[in-house]
Formats: sequence, C-alpha cells, structure tokens
Amino acid sequence: MRASDKAGEALLAVTDLSAGYGGMPVLRDVSLEVRHGEILALVGSNGAGKTTLLRALSRMIASDGGIRFAGRDLAPMTPDEVFGAGLVQVPEGRQLFDRMTVEDNLLMGAYRRADQASVRGDLERMYALFPRLGERRRQLAGSMSGGEQQMCAMARGLMAKPQLLMIDEMSLGLAPVIVEQLMEVLATIRTEGVTVLLVEQDIHLALSGADRGYVMETGAIVHGGDAKALIDDPAVRKAYLGL
Amino acid sequence: MDLFAQILVNGVLLGGLYAVMALGLALVWGVLNIVNLAHGAFIMLGAYLSWHLYTYLGIDPFLGLPITAILMFCLGYAVQRGLLNLIVRAPMFNTLLITFGLEVVLTYLAQIAFSADFRTINPSYAGAHISLGPLVIPLARLMAFGVAIVLTVGMWVFLLRTRLGRAIRATAQNLVAARLYGVEPRHLYAMTFGIGIGLAGAAGGLYGTVSQINPYIGATLTAKSFAIAIIGGLENPLGVIVGGLVLGIIESLTVAYVGATFGDVASFGVLVLVLIVRPSGILGKTA
Repeated sequence: MRASDKAGEALLAVTDLSAGYGGMPVLRDVSLEVRHGEILALVGSNGAGKTTLLRALSRMIASDGGIRFAGRDLAPMTPDEVFGAGLVQVPEGRQLFDRMTVEDNLLMGAYRRADQASVRGDLERMYALFPRLGERRRQLAGSMSGGEQQMCAMARGLMAKPQLLMIDEMSLGLAPVIVEQLMEVLATIRTEGVTVLLVEQDIHLALSGADRGYVMETGAIVHGGDAKALIDDPAVRKAYLGL
Repeated sequence: MDLFAQILVNGVLLGGLYAVMALGLALVWGVLNIVNLAHGAFIMLGAYLSWHLYTYLGIDPFLGLPITAILMFCLGYAVQRGLLNLIVRAPMFNTLLITFGLEVVLTYLAQIAFSADFRTINPSYAGAHISLGPLVIPLARLMAFGVAIVLTVGMWVFLLRTRLGRAIRATAQNLVAARLYGVEPRHLYAMTFGIGIGLAGAAGGLYGTVSQINPYIGATLTAKSFAIAIIGGLENPLGVIVGGLVLGIIESLTVAYVGATFGDVASFGVLVLVLIVRPSGILGKTA
C-alpha cells in the first residue's frame, strides 16, 4: 500500500507558523509535522489556537512561516487550491449544507474531483462505512442528530479523497457511544491510506486513539511526542487530565 | 362565466412569463445576496437583442432565444467578474447602489442606441390564436408560456441534479464550507449571475413577442420580479412559478373588474399581504 511505503515520512511539515486576526497574534512560531499514515492528535483547551492553526493550514487566513504538504508549498495557495492538493478539513461545528440532502452533502465533498465517474461507487463505500447515512441519504442534513451530522461531515470530507483529513472538535457535544464509533471509523480509514489530524479539547480521548500528539497552549506547542507517552507525562496529566 | 375563464387564462399565460422574468432575480438574490435593481434593464436588453436578431437577421424570436440567452449569459458573467464581485457580500446598501447605477446606465445607453421609440417583434404568427370553445388563446402567448415553464422546471432540475447546480446551492447555504470544499467563489458567483442574466435575456425575448418594448420598461419589470421572488420564496424555482401565476392572475382580474390603472396596486398589495402573513414566501418554510 502506498501509505505504508512512506510511513514515518512527513506528509505535512509546519515550521515557525504565526497567524492572528486583525493584528492580534494568536499563533506563535508553531512547528509540527504529520507523518504518512498516522493519526495525529492536536490537543489543547478552548482558545489555545487549534482552530486558528487549521484555518491557516487551509489558507482561510493569512500567516507567516512554512507550510509544506506532500512536497508542495501551501503558503501562496488559495483555499480551493489547498483542497485540491488533498488537504481536507472537517470544520468545527460541522458546517454542513443544512438544507441539502445527506447525499448532496457527500457529493459536494467530491465537487473538485477529476474522476467524477467513480463518485457513485465512493458514495456506496461511505454508506457502508456509516450505515446510518445510507438510511438517511434523502434526508436534509440539518434535520439529523448531532452524531449523524458529524458522520455526514466526515463522510463529506472523505468523499474528497483526501491525503490528510483534519477533523476539528470531532467529539464536541456527542454521546460517548457515538464518539467511540467515530474513533473506530478513523482507525478504518487509516488502513485505507488516509492520514488523520484530530484536533480535540477532549485530550484523553484524542491521545488514546492517536499514534502521536501535540499539546497546544496559548498559541504555541508546549508538548509533543508519542501519544501513550504524553498521556503518562506527569506535566500533561497534571495540567489537562486532572490526575 | 366565459369572461371570467378568459381572464383567468390570460392571467395564467401572463404569469408564466412573469415567472421566468423573476427566476434570474431570485437566483442571484438567493445565492449572491444581491437584489439586482438592474435585472429589468437586462430583460430590456434581451428584448432588444431578440428584436435585432428578428428584424435584421430574420431569426424567429423563439428560435433565437438560445442565442439571446447565451449572449446575455456572457454579458452577465463579465459584469459579475469585473464589477459586482467587488461588492458581493458587502452591506446590502452598497449592492443596491451599484445595481441601481447599472440600471440607469443601461437604460440611457439603450435610449442612445435604440431611441425611445416603441418596438414590437411581429413574427407571422403574432396575431394567430387557438379557440377552445369560448376561450381564445393567443398562440405567441401560449408559446411564451410553454417556454417559461420549460425554463423554470429546467432551472429546478439543474439546481437539484447537476454538479454546478449543487455547488450554487451549497454556496448560497454556507459560503465557508463551500470554500473549504473547493468552490472558487468568484467563478461560481460569475456563473450564477451569468445564468441569472441569461434567463433575464430569455425573458426579454419572450416579453418582446407579447408586448411592446422601449428603453424604460426595466424599472417596472424589476419591481414585478422582486414581488414575485418574495411571493414565491428564494429557495425553490417552483415557488417562482407559483409567484408568477399569483401575480399574473391577480393583475388580470384587477384590470378586468376594477380598472386598468389598479393592476399594479393589486400586485403590490398582494406582496405586502404575503410579507405580513408568510415572510418566507408561499412555498417557503416558516421559521
């Protein structure tokens, strides 16, 4: 499999990235890398700058510093070009097209794909991965439960055939049993060659499902490394896990 | 009774034409959040284009509609790309100002180019009609009605079933998500505005076959399109058909039973009523 050939190499490399809103700095010299085929957790409390980092990576906001993805420089690109390069975001709050059907939402995920002929088959793959979506394919996305909407948002992201899927606050507001299902889906798609960047406030959840992790605090990376080691790190435990 | 039926028929035929006039305005309003005050001026340009194609090149006004629509689409695409993209997502007041300016410019350019004389497109079948018992159905109006329904339903299918139509709806609902999923807004806006103006052009061509044209028809047509879009709602092209029919029938009834000068009073009276009772339109969802 393509992904395992490159396993361990950097797919996304961010160096000294700074960004902010209207002159207010939010990110300060953030450096991190996401390796081919891994699930990487980016954790930190509310306001740490995680979502701002994702916006900068998607080029929705301007930033200083290096962003290399799959051998290409993302810094000068527009959001649609970043998307075309295979860096796909599942945004916080899901941002579904509420008054469109589940199926239309998934088809929007495939909007930019050149291989439109294989889109039908991929729809069926998504319905196999998320059977609930298959049952509700004709339903308006905005009328579903939070868990189903998150499934729809993730399936829409996968329909874009991403190299790297960035998921912002996947577990927010969802029941633990749903979150467990979603984590299993992440494990499945990783075996299919999709690298995952999981951005979470729920530090324990994210680190226990990930290979490696970074901890972010007030706009900077403060810890990083093997996910299991981070969970056991006394400093992390004390600050974030209340243990 | 026969008279009432005839008035109803006239109203329905007029309503179909109204629907296609409002279709482009509703599309642009719904997706770009621009109430295009120049919409009627584009209808007027479409009517003159159709008139020229017929008068100088002998192209039948109905067969010439695709040409009119395509040329107007190109004009619309260029106007959006070069002008309106500057103010898209700007406060409503700015968009009203710039489209009002556009309407004034287009009207006076038309006056210089075409003079203020009234024109009509008079193909050989202009006076022909079909008799259905006591009812008289003018052929040109019936054909215009048919084309209007085909265009409106076609628009509905386009928005629901095609890749571009889906992207247009998605952008109208959630711009941020659409951009995240690879929609390039400037191009998409220009395509949307182009389609809206193409439809306005086609509506103008139809208008020219059933009514007189002059450079000043735009403002009234904008106002009527605006009323229909509100009555029908912005979400669904089929709502625009309903809005067009409502307006057409009410106008015909009012003109026949109350007096010709009261037609517009009744139309805009209905608009006010709809705004009070169902602000999201007749087919729109209540919040």
